[in-house]
Amino acid sequence: MSERRSRGLLPSPAGLVAGGLVILGVLLWMFVNKGLLVVAGIGAFGPGILRELGWLNDQDEFQRQAAHRAGYHAWLVGGLAAVLILSALQWGNSGADVSIEWVGLVLALMWLTWLFSALLTYWAAKRTTTVVLLVFGSFWLLFGVATIISEAMDGTGSFDLATTLLGVMAGISIVGPFLIGAWAVYRWPRATGAVLIVIAALFAWKFGPWGMDDWSTQLLTLTLLALPLFACGTALLVEERSTT
Amino acid sequence: MTQQALAERVGVTRQTILSIERGRYNPSVGLALQIADVFGVPVEDLFEIESETGDE
Repeated sequence: MSERRSRGLLPSPAGLVAGGLVILGVLLWMFVNKGLLVVAGIGAFGPGILRELGWLNDQDEFQRQAAHRAGYHAWLVGGLAAVLILSALQWGNSGADVSIEWVGLVLALMWLTWLFSALLTYWAAKRTTTVVLLVFGSFWLLFGVATIISEAMDGTGSFDLATTLLGVMAGISIVGPFLIGAWAVYRWPRATGAVLIVIAALFAWKFGPWGMDDWSTQLLTLTLLALPLFACGTALLVEERSTT
Repeated sequence: MTQQALAERVGVTRQTILSIERGRYNPSVGLALQIADVFGVPVEDLFEIESETGDE
């Protein structure tokens, strides 16, 4: 066990591989083939299954307790979200179909809840906020780069510099709050928490499903964009309040 | 003894030792006994139940 690893600063090799597979799987799902979501599934559930089977032993008892507690929280959030979505879509026996985006929303809520709860139990708010913001910032950065590349290579073979630069600036404006927040957490935790909540509200206002018929895609985007910022900001403010 | 050294002796992460010290995590009986064994003291010398009034 390396020093940084034994100090709990870095996840285990299995955790790093799992996180990479989740991000890679989501990107492959978005840009290559919907069926490749299975790659994210292997990353999200594989290590936990191996640990429960006793084939992977890379956590101590506190980490296992945090993971089990987070699993219960994810079950509560995911189950409640699934029931609410099914009820709303089929209200009055309308018989509306549940699209793949709704399923994705429930999975995203479960995964985000599990990640946030496990890290918050193990590390408390500041380090959890740093890690969550870096993970989601990295995801949106990769998403932005992949979008720009896919649009630049779109059929015509021409390279539109202005469109590409606009895409880069839009990507930075989304990723910026995540990376700046991760940097500022230890310096100004209370102010950072408040700013993260305000930015989450702005994202919700800008990217929300207001006035649309199908809310699923927008809610999924908000879950991956605004919810991490809101959760981190709230956790920071609550922790700062309890320590003063 | 540093937190890191104790963590290595009992086979947990330093974060776990830190969380025990800060009262954020109650260790299992097995881990509590291991920690007491490292220091050569009875486990009740290291851990105690807080009273409802907050007195230790």
